[in-house]
Amino acid sequence: MYKKTVIIIALLALVAIPAFAKRGNKVTIAGSTTVLPIAQSCAEEFMNCHPDVNISVRGGGSSVGIASIIAGTVDIGDASRHIKDKELVQAREMGINPVENVVANDGIVVIVNPANSIKALSLDQVKDIYTGKFLNWKEIGGPNMPIVVISRDVSSGTFEVFKEKVMQGTAGIDGALMLASNNAVVSTVASTPGAIGYAGLGYVTSSIKVLSIEGVMPSKKTIQSGEYPISRTLHMYTNGKAKGNVKLFLDFVLSPAGQKIVEAQGFVKAN
Amino acid sequence: MKRAFFVIFLIMMVTSWLAAETKFKMELWNRWTYARADGETIQNEMALKRGYFRLEPKFGQNISGRFNLDFFSDDGPDDGVGIKLKYAYLDFVNLIPIRGSKLTAGLMKTYFGTIYDWDYTTIDKDPSDKYKFVSSTDYGVGIFGYVPNGLGSYAVNLYNGEGYKKTGSDINKDMNINANLRLTPIPGVTVGGSYMMQTKNDDEIDGEKNPDRQENTLIAGMSKLVYGHASLLTQYLMKTVSLPNVDDAEDVTTSVISLMPAYKLNNIFDVVARYDIYDPDTDTDDDGESTFIGGVNYHIMRDAKNAPKLLVQANYQITSYEDAKDDESELMVQLRWIFSETFK
Repeated sequence: MYKKTVIIIALLALVAIPAFAKRGNKVTIAGSTTVLPIAQSCAEEFMNCHPDVNISVRGGGSSVGIASIIAGTVDIGDASRHIKDKELVQAREMGINPVENVVANDGIVVIVNPANSIKALSLDQVKDIYTGKFLNWKEIGGPNMPIVVISRDVSSGTFEVFKEKVMQGTAGIDGALMLASNNAVVSTVASTPGAIGYAGLGYVTSSIKVLSIEGVMPSKKTIQSGEYPISRTLHMYTNGKAKGNVKLFLDFVLSPAGQKIVEAQGFVKAN
Repeated sequence: MKRAFFVIFLIMMVTSWLAAETKFKMELWNRWTYARADGETIQNEMALKRGYFRLEPKFGQNISGRFNLDFFSDDGPDDGVGIKLKYAYLDFVNLIPIRGSKLTAGLMKTYFGTIYDWDYTTIDKDPSDKYKFVSSTDYGVGIFGYVPNGLGSYAVNLYNGEGYKKTGSDINKDMNINANLRLTPIPGVTVGGSYMMQTKNDDEIDGEKNPDRQENTLIAGMSKLVYGHASLLTQYLMKTVSLPNVDDAEDVTTSVISLMPAYKLNNIFDVVARYDIYDPDTDTDDDGESTFIGGVNYHIMRDAKNAPKLLVQANYQITSYEDAKDDESELMVQLRWIFSETFK
């Protein structure tokens, strides 16, 4: 009995030791592939000014960014969507207090191959394409060409926002090509004549054609004003209010210099 | 048995094929158990203690489901493996006009104590499961939702009350009523409580069924404190069995106190402990038992979301009895491996 009591006390004492592990001058960031170029470019610029700070940035998707904040494995979790109720409850139970820092505005642009004559679609038409109601571009005034539907993978925040703002609760088409990054969507649409896809504004290149939605072209002005219907905010989540090097970095992202980088990456500065 | 398994498996596969998106998950627990009592070895075996195959189809944004087949190599009939359907439910989101809530129907989680989100920090089962308070899943219908601002969750359910293992004509047909509330007022401090009311009528008087019901009242209280890498889960369970249908019968109250501290040394090693005090009848002396568990979790591999993928757990467990019975000790080493994929 005495032996057992000693074991119990020893284990409780071990548990009572608070975690004061020093992180040093390293800042770790993971999450949304949409926010990734902002995080990477800002990190590079920040490290030029603060050579003593080492920032590591990786993608994975918004779900991974938020899960990493909950697990305490990163300092900043990038997300192109808001945290979900389930994730927030889970985080708080784990002693994590997720704080949302809006770092940019973005529009999800609907893109087609430049060979496609289609220039504009309504939200309902986009939804009908993604639910499989329209299978050929000629059904909506385009060329006689099968529609190849490209989507983002389910752990992506871009997918979540598209699902919420365009699909409005309806299921997507079976057989849609689910790709793991915005870059992959853009390059696949660029090389597939009948393709339609969606990506963050920052990923638009001359190799694809951007469609106007509900008669509004995505632009910095229409996204910031909310006129463009598939717009959203981009976030960097921290556990509690940012401190130390994490705060320095976030302050930099939100500074005029940081927001210049946001715009240079093709996104819209935070309001 | 094989035919039943085949039919269930077929239903699961067809359902997932119809779904817009399906997550497949397989988890296997290979365990070596070495137990001693009274100076003798009473168990020295390796087994697939549990394996489960899970499908989580999404039929659009508002309807999703979970189907789960559980496999046990040491709990089956003569052919050496037992298979049970553990989950088969559908979640309907936005069907009821409460933000963040869902309606669930089918063979679903039992929202009592911590059994519904028990993650096996120690190898042993959740106290409600281990001490036979409730079954981890049951056939029923209920509402589950989140309190705004991440303050917690709630559930209200109606169950069959017989879990997922019992079959045949012998099962009790009275419904169970269950309510569960868990609140996290500040990050790292969670408190919760559950209530369940069961009635049963399995007592006969002179060969006749007694019209009065046996009444079981179950209460659970829990708290979880997390600070940095340290956590402490405490739980109190109480079950009172009243027998108004049996003459001169007195109420029997069973209680459990469980403490489970854990410390995450890093993302690879956890040190865990647990202490349970079980009293099957609070009015009777020397009938209880206490169990101490100490152990280590070694996370060999995690997935992108930091969830365990390959994990070795080692637990040493001592159970002491208040009566004259000798202590029992058990050493368990378990390899858990999990793989999952989402298909569209």
